[in-house]
Amino acid sequence: MTTASLHGGPEPSARAAVVSAPVLPTSHASWWRTHSAQRKTFGYTLLAPAALYVLLLVGAPFLFSLWLAVSDANVGDPVAHFVGLENFRAAWEMDTFWIAFRNSVVFLVVAAIFKGLLGTSLAFLLLQNFRGKKLIRGLVVIPFTLPIAISVLSWKWMYDSQFSVINWVLSRAGLIGSYGSESWPVWLGQPKLALAACIAVNVWRTFPFSAIVLLAGFTAIPLEVLDAAKVDGCTFFQRFRHIVTPMIFPILMIGFLFDTVFTLSDLSVVYLLTQGGPANATKILPVLAYQIGIQAGNLGRGAAIALFLVPLLLPALILVLRNIKRREW
Amino acid sequence: MSVSQPALTPSTVSRRRFLTVAGAGVTTSALLTMLDARQAPAQIKGTTLRILQWSHFIPAYDAWFDNKFVKDWGDKNGVKVRVDHIPHLELPARMAAEFAAGAGHDIIMNGSSILTRLYYKSLADVSDIYDSIGKKRGGWIPTAKPLVEVEGKQYGIPMFYILLPMLYRKDLFDANNLKAPDTWELARVAARTLKPKGHPTGIQFSQCADANLNWRSVLFSFGGAETDPSGENILIDSKETREALRFAKALFDEGMTPEVFSWDDASDNRFLASGVGCWIHDAISAYRTTEDTNPDVFKNTHIAMEPAGPGGKRVSTSAANVYMIWKFSKNQPAAKEFLVHFMEEFKDGMVQSRGYNMPYLLGDAQKPMPIIGSDPKMQILQDFPKIVAFYGYPGPFTTPVQEVVNLFVLPDMFTRVARGQSVDDVMKWGVGEYQRIFSKHKRA
Repeated sequence: MTTASLHGGPEPSARAAVVSAPVLPTSHASWWRTHSAQRKTFGYTLLAPAALYVLLLVGAPFLFSLWLAVSDANVGDPVAHFVGLENFRAAWEMDTFWIAFRNSVVFLVVAAIFKGLLGTSLAFLLLQNFRGKKLIRGLVVIPFTLPIAISVLSWKWMYDSQFSVINWVLSRAGLIGSYGSESWPVWLGQPKLALAACIAVNVWRTFPFSAIVLLAGFTAIPLEVLDAAKVDGCTFFQRFRHIVTPMIFPILMIGFLFDTVFTLSDLSVVYLLTQGGPANATKILPVLAYQIGIQAGNLGRGAAIALFLVPLLLPALILVLRNIKRREW
Repeated sequence: MSVSQPALTPSTVSRRRFLTVAGAGVTTSALLTMLDARQAPAQIKGTTLRILQWSHFIPAYDAWFDNKFVKDWGDKNGVKVRVDHIPHLELPARMAAEFAAGAGHDIIMNGSSILTRLYYKSLADVSDIYDSIGKKRGGWIPTAKPLVEVEGKQYGIPMFYILLPMLYRKDLFDANNLKAPDTWELARVAARTLKPKGHPTGIQFSQCADANLNWRSVLFSFGGAETDPSGENILIDSKETREALRFAKALFDEGMTPEVFSWDDASDNRFLASGVGCWIHDAISAYRTTEDTNPDVFKNTHIAMEPAGPGGKRVSTSAANVYMIWKFSKNQPAAKEFLVHFMEEFKDGMVQSRGYNMPYLLGDAQKPMPIIGSDPKMQILQDFPKIVAFYGYPGPFTTPVQEVVNLFVLPDMFTRVARGQSVDDVMKWGVGEYQRIFSKHKRA
């Protein structure tokens, strides 16, 4: 008896016999009746809903936005004509577009750093055992689950130039002067501060998501591995770098990908806080695309501006997927 | 003698076309006759009318409109009316969605962003009722028509506009021997005097609707212009614009604090109501907010005429509001009937909006107007219809102007100057932005 037969497979000699058997001419219709064809059909049938879902809900809108970007479509005209790369050229020529592009990159990078730091810290915190842990776990997701309009309006009040609660606390603590003084920060009025304020709200809203993703990864690590590392004398950071991070890498990458997409396409925070002002200091690509595409009615140019997000997203996407794929092997 | 027969030429009008035109003519004339007799056409009975409009800044107005005005009209005419309210900034997106779907409300309101020229192909021609309403009510103010007219036809009914007058603290002015801010220069002197005493002024140097309106009022009163009357040519590159920019820079340096860079449409309301501001240039919602929240300040808050520029010119850039009917609406007769009724009862709306809704119809603009005519402090508002302008002045509100407004190009010009950029640099940037936007639309 061979190893193969022990595992239930045919004897090698038998397999050879099957291979060497004369192939009977089969008609096209009978091919469908073969076992492998039926298996394939069954597989594709199972896959079809997911493929259809992706095609209809992701592929079709994406292709439609591609068409809009190369057309002169506007909101009030049902007929659009092909204009080639004219809309991209128009965006390229816009001073505001480059400001929005730069702000988008800054927004993405700074927000990612802070979300990474805060998310990791929170995830480690939630791993510990303490009283009220369940309550805290529930509370931390509140920013993520609150309707964005409500939470951003609350922030708008906190950033108010006159009645800011943040300024009030800082003033009471003696860190800044009183209202009207030079040191009184105007959160949404000073260009760098305004961008920082918008990023802060984005970080506040979405770092619980990062924490939850990381927490899911951390809890999947076998404790024995960590205990063994501890016995071997690894410090916390060594364990984090050499054990935790490699083991949760796929989850980390997927989380990173989601976060990048969410951050780059986040229109609401900036739109509700500043509409892109003052003097375009907080303008990001989604806001510009919305203002030109929907409010001013130029769907074509709006779509072209929105599509400039793709070159930003694509490298991240490829990097992440390649890394995950490589680690699978 | 032979009589020459007239040559038979084939008719250019088909039977179908003849029936269509004749049918439309009969329907329109019947509708006009009924409108004239103030009798709703029988065919609207049992139908449903859907209206989409903003959430009014005066909440009591919406309550009255939904529960009384619309309900009474619906009951009287046997029409079921549904009114949906959304924030005014969401109206353009909603309009785009309804257009794309080819379905939605029958009547849709445009607030501030008047999108007639973008959508006119999909809007019902309402020239018939526009004319009849105008005739009955003494005509429209001159700036009304360009808001709704495309290629000689009217595609909307201007419903009301919102003024942004000067609201100033008379007690502070009197205590410092300052003259009422009847000119922009007097307003500047007041700000310069009162800022050191803890009462600065403020106009939004930010990206919000009020910034678009307020800085245009300054520009136009200084003699500047946005486009020529055809709307085709840009007039922003002028010495008047430069002068207005220099004035804004001086006003900011002498009379404002940096908080104006962060302001939204409601910030100046709070600024006045808090008792800090010496004057603001804003809609009377600020006046009403102060009335409700700080009676002491309200008592001393007065309303002034639009300040005059150096040449004595006064132009008040106002927020326009227009009702439109979708072409896809299956209930156009009821929609038209409702709009006629709305305009005929306009004064009720003025009362319910506490003087916020200002009339486009000269008949309604005659003194004394409801509410504002009987309030000594508000009576001055009755003089505004003569000086009202809208975006694009003296040209119409075209699609390139629409983009200029949505991208806040003009307020950004003023902001850049206030932040310290030279007037020449700002002019170069601003004029470049105008030219780029206009040329793109021309190419399209």
